Amino acid sequence: MSSKKWIVIFFLSIILIFAMVAGLNILVDPFGVFGDVLMDWYSYNITMNPRVAKIKYLDRHYEEYDSYIIGCSATSSFPVNELNSYYGASFYNMIMYGADMKDVELTVSYMLENYIVKNLILNIYIDNGVYYDQGEDTLTNNLHPKVSGASRLSFYGKYLFLNPRYAISKISSRRRDTYLPQPFDVFDISTGAYDKRARDAEPIGSLDEYIRSYPVFADYPEARIEMSQTDYCIKSVLTIINMCREAGVNLTVVCSPVYKDYMAYFDPAQVADFYTKLAEITPYWDFSMSSVSWEPRYFYDGTHFRNAAGTMALARMFGNDRVYVPEDFGVYVTKENVASYLETLLEVPEITAENYTARVPILMYHHLDYEGNDTTTTTPETFEAHMKALRENGYTAISIEELVSYVDGNGQLPPKPVLITFDDGYLSNYELAFPILEKYNMKATIFIIGSSVGKSFYRDTDYPIIPHFDYEQAREMVDSGLVSIQSHTYDMHRWQPFEKGAARTSILKLEKEDENDYIRVLKEDFLKSSAEICENLGIHVDSLAFPNGQYDILSQAVLTDLGVRVTLSVERGINTVIKGLPQSLYAMKRLNMNESIDTDKLLEALCS
Amino acid sequence: MSFTSPVFLGFILFFLLVYYLLPRRLQWVVLLAASCVFYISGGIRMIAYLLITTLSTYLAGRLLGWLNEKGAGLSQEDKKLLSGRLRTQKRLTVFFAAFLNFGMLYVLKYWDFTAHALGRLIPGSNLPVLNLAIPLGISFYIFQSIGYVVDVYRDKYQPEKNPFKFALFVSFFPQIIQGPISRFDQLAGQLTALREPNFDSIKYGIQLTMWGYFKKLVIAGRAGVLVDHVFNGGTKYDGSVIAFAVLFYCIQLYCDFSGGIDISRGIAGMFGIDMTINFRRPIFAVSLTDYWRRWHISLGTWMKDYVFYPLALSKPFGRLGKFTRKHIGGTVGKIFPTSLATFIIYFIIGIWHGANFRYIAFGFWNGIIITSSLILTGFYSGVRKRLGISDQSRLLRVFRILRTAFLVFIGRYITRAPRLLTALSMLGATFLNFHPERLFDGTLLTLGLDKGAIITVLAGIVAVIYVELLQERGIEIRKSLEKRSFLVQWLAILVPLTAIILLGILNQEYISAEFIYAQF
Repeated sequence: MSSKKWIVIFFLSIILIFAMVAGLNILVDPFGVFGDVLMDWYSYNITMNPRVAKIKYLDRHYEEYDSYIIGCSATSSFPVNELNSYYGASFYNMIMYGADMKDVELTVSYMLENYIVKNLILNIYIDNGVYYDQGEDTLTNNLHPKVSGASRLSFYGKYLFLNPRYAISKISSRRRDTYLPQPFDVFDISTGAYDKRARDAEPIGSLDEYIRSYPVFADYPEARIEMSQTDYCIKSVLTIINMCREAGVNLTVVCSPVYKDYMAYFDPAQVADFYTKLAEITPYWDFSMSSVSWEPRYFYDGTHFRNAAGTMALARMFGNDRVYVPEDFGVYVTKENVASYLETLLEVPEITAENYTARVPILMYHHLDYEGNDTTTTTPETFEAHMKALRENGYTAISIEELVSYVDGNGQLPPKPVLITFDDGYLSNYELAFPILEKYNMKATIFIIGSSVGKSFYRDTDYPIIPHFDYEQAREMVDSGLVSIQSHTYDMHRWQPFEKGAARTSILKLEKEDENDYIRVLKEDFLKSSAEICENLGIHVDSLAFPNGQYDILSQAVLTDLGVRVTLSVERGINTVIKGLPQSLYAMKRLNMNESIDTDKLLEALCS
Repeated sequence: MSFTSPVFLGFILFFLLVYYLLPRRLQWVVLLAASCVFYISGGIRMIAYLLITTLSTYLAGRLLGWLNEKGAGLSQEDKKLLSGRLRTQKRLTVFFAAFLNFGMLYVLKYWDFTAHALGRLIPGSNLPVLNLAIPLGISFYIFQSIGYVVDVYRDKYQPEKNPFKFALFVSFFPQIIQGPISRFDQLAGQLTALREPNFDSIKYGIQLTMWGYFKKLVIAGRAGVLVDHVFNGGTKYDGSVIAFAVLFYCIQLYCDFSGGIDISRGIAGMFGIDMTINFRRPIFAVSLTDYWRRWHISLGTWMKDYVFYPLALSKPFGRLGKFTRKHIGGTVGKIFPTSLATFIIYFIIGIWHGANFRYIAFGFWNGIIITSSLILTGFYSGVRKRLGISDQSRLLRVFRILRTAFLVFIGRYITRAPRLLTALSMLGATFLNFHPERLFDGTLLTLGLDKGAIITVLAGIVAVIYVELLQERGIEIRKSLEKRSFLVQWLAILVPLTAIILLGILNQEYISAEFIYAQF
C-alpha cells in the first residue's frame, strides 16, 4: 500500500483500538458507571467502587427504600433487617469503605435531593477526625460526579479507557462466583451492607483460640494517629444536620464501637475534643468505648466490630430487652452530659468474663450395649456410672434451649453445666439410656437421622444395622421433659460400604457437585428432617449434629440461613459460649464417650 | 513534557501540521519554536543554561571561523610568522568555550559529589553542597556544541552565522533530552532545508516511533518494576533472584534507552530529518570494544574523535609510547599508551553517566576488560590456531557474543546498585549463594510483577531480539513488509499498536478488589 494510505490506516487503527477498549468497558462495566446493562452484577460493581456503583444502583432502585444508614465501613455492622423492624422502614446501608465526612456530606446531599429519605442514621467513627476529603481521584474511591460536582468528562473518560484488566477480571470472576461472598463481591446487593455470611459462619470459642486465629489482637501494631481533621468533620456533620432538618428527615447520629487497642492510638485530649464538639451540635448514641471494646471476639478485626455487636447496639437504642446488651454499652450523649461522660470514656471498665461467658462441656454418646467398645459403644453400667458421677460432682445437665437462651441473654446457666448428647437415634438410647436418665433426672438431646427412624435395616436394603427407635418411642422420651430430639440430617449420613457409587456420607458438598444443587439438597434435607420431627414430636428443630462431625463455612452458612442456632462437631474440646455471639454455638466441640472412659477420665476431661 | 505523555503526542501532531502547512522557508523557525516550547515545558529556569551554551559556542564558532579565514588569507611569509600566534588564539578560544561549558556541567552535575567525597577524605573540608537541579539533557547538548567548536577549530566546516539556526542545532527537541549527540555537518543542513511533505518519511518515522514506544512502554516500564523492587530490597535476595533482576535491568535499560532514541529518530523522521543512529544491535556484540561501537554510538564516536585520538596522538603520549616500548617492551610496552588512553576514555564515559563512585568503577571495569583483551589478543589467536578453530566459525561467534553479554551483565550490577558496596555484595551473592530453586518456587512473583507481566517482558524482548537478528542479517524489515499483502501490512500496524495501547498506555495501576478487601 502507498505510504499515504498506510498513514491513514495507522490513524484509523488507533481509533479502532480505542473504540474497542471503550466498547469493552461499556459492555462489561467493571465499576458499574455505565449502567452495567450486560452483566447486571452490582455486588461486583459496588465492591470495586461503592461510592459510584451504589449511586448508580439506587438511581434505579431508590423507590424500594425510604431510610438510609451512612458512613465508613464500620457502618456495615448495623444489620439492615433489624433496622427495618425497629423503624418499621425500609433501610439501605450506604456504607462506603474509607468514607470521610466530606464523602458522606456530598452523598447525603445527593440522596436528599433525589431519593425518598424518611430516616437517616449517620454513623461516625473515630477515623472521621483523622481523614477528610481524601482519595477522590482513584478509580476505586472517587465519588460519582453527580454527587461530587466534578468534571463528568474526565470521570467518564477515565472509566471509558480503563485498563482492560478490569473488564477481563470481571468476566473471569463471574465464572468463579459462589453462594458465599468472595473478595470480588463482598456486598449484599439488596441491603447495601457487607455480606458477612461467611465471616459470621465462623465458630467462636475461647479467647485463646480467637487470638490464635486473629493474631492481630494479641500483638496489636503500635502507632500514633493525629486527629487533625476534627473541625472539618464537625462542620460537615453540621451541614448534614441542617440539610436533614430542612428536609424533615429523622436523623440519628451514632458513634460506633472502637477496639481498645485502636483507641490507644489517639491522644485522649483529641478524642475528648472530637466527642465534645460533636455533642455541641447534636445528641448522639455513643458506643465507642465500653466493655465491648475490651472483648476482641466482638470484633472482626481492629477497626470493624461484628454484626453481633451491631445487633446489641440497636437493641440498646431501641430498648429491646430480649437481646443481650452489656450494661455499659451505649450512652445517649448530649450537650449536658458530655463532660461527665467523657470523664469515664477512656477508663478501663470492670470486665468479668464469667458474667458473659460460660464453659460448656458436651458429652457425645452413640449406642448403648451390654458389650461396650472403645469407639462409640457404652455399656449401661458405665453410662450410669457417668450420670452418677456428674450428679455427685455438682454438674447439671442442660438442654440446648437453655444454652441458646444464655447466648441470647435471656437466661443463666447453672454453675457446672453439661450437655449430654446422643447421635444417630439408636433404640438402645430409648431402652437402656432413657431409664438411667430418668433415674438421675438428667436432660439429654438425641440427634436422629430422619431416614433411619425406626429402622433395623440399612435404607432400601436388607443389610441389618443397629436398630433405631421410632417416633412412638421418641414421643415417650420427649414427654418425660428430659429428652429433646434434634436433627442429625434426614439422609446425609449414609454409610459408604453399603452404597454403590459415591454417597452422601456427610453434610459437605460432593466433589464436582454444582454448588446450587448442593445448597438445594442440603436445604431440602434439613427442612424434611425438621418438618418430620416437628410433625411427630411437636419440637422446633434449631440444632443439628454434623454427620461425622464434618462441616465447612458453606454448610454452616446455609444452616444459619435456615434458622439453625446450634451445630455440633466431633472435635474434642470444651466450649466457651458468649452472650451476644451466636457464633459461639456453631460447630461446638464434644467429648466422645464410650466404654473406655471411666468416671475418673470423664471428670478429668470435663475439667481439661 | 515526557515522550510518553499524551500531551507530547498532541504537541508533535500540532507542529507536524504547522511544519508542512506553513511556507517552506519558515519550516526551520517552526522547529525552533517547537524546540523552545518543548524545552520550556520542562521548567523555564533551565533555559538559562541552554542559552549560555548556545551563545558561548556560537561566538566561539564565529571567532574560530574568523581566525580560520584570517589564517587562510595570509601569505606564505605571514603564515610562518603568524601561524603560531593564530593557533594559540584558536586554542584559547576552544579552551574558553570548553572551560565555560564543562565548568558549568561540572558544577551542576559533579560539585556535590566532590564536596561529599572530599568531606569523607579530608575531614573538616566543608565544601558547601549546592543541591542544584540538573537541567534536562545538559550533558548531551554541551557535548554536541563542543564537538561543533572543535570541528570549526579543525576547519572541517564553516561556522553557522545565523545565531537562531545555530540555536536550533543545539536545542532540536527530539534529541535534546537523551541524544543522539549529533554532528553539525550532518544535522544542521537538514534542519534548515526546505521540505515538501514526504509520506514515505512520515510513515517510516511513525514506524520507528511505534517501535520505540513498544520497547519503552511495554517492555522497559514493566521490567523496571521488578528491578526497583529487588534493588530496593538490597541484599536480602538470593543470587538467582538478583541475577534475574539484573537481567531485567539489562532489558529495561536497553529497551528504555534505545526505545527513547527510536522515538527521537522517528519523530525527527516525520519532519524529514535523518538523525544519526545511536544503537546498532549491541546484543550481537562480539567483544566489549564492539559493544561500545554498537551501544550509545554517538557518545562513543564523540569520545573517539574529541578525546581518544587527540590524546593518543598527542606529543606526550608519543613520548610515553617510545619510553614504554624501550623500557617495558613486548605487547605490554606496545599497547601501554593506547591502554592508558582507553582507561581515560572509559573513566570519562563512566562519570559521564553520573556523579558516583559506581560509575567510576564501571569505567574501570570496562577499561580493564578492554585492555586485558588487547593484551590477550595474541594468546587467543594462538589458542584458536592450536584448536583449529576458524575465525569465521559460527560457534566461536556465538561464544564471543555470550561472553560479551556476560561481561556487560556483570557491569550492570555496578551501575544499578544504589551503592558500590551493595553492588559488590550482590555480585557476591550471585556467585556464592545462587540458589537456582528460587527461580521456580514463586519468589519471582513476589517482586512486584505478576506472571502475565513477566511473560510480557520476556516475550517482548524475544520479539526485539528476533527483529534485530533479521536486521543483523541485513534484512530490511520495513521494506520487505511493503511487498506483503494488505492484511499482513495491516496486522503489522495493529499488533504492535494494540500492544502499546493495551499494555503500555491503558496500563494504569491495576487495583484488585482482592487487595482492598484482603481482610474480608
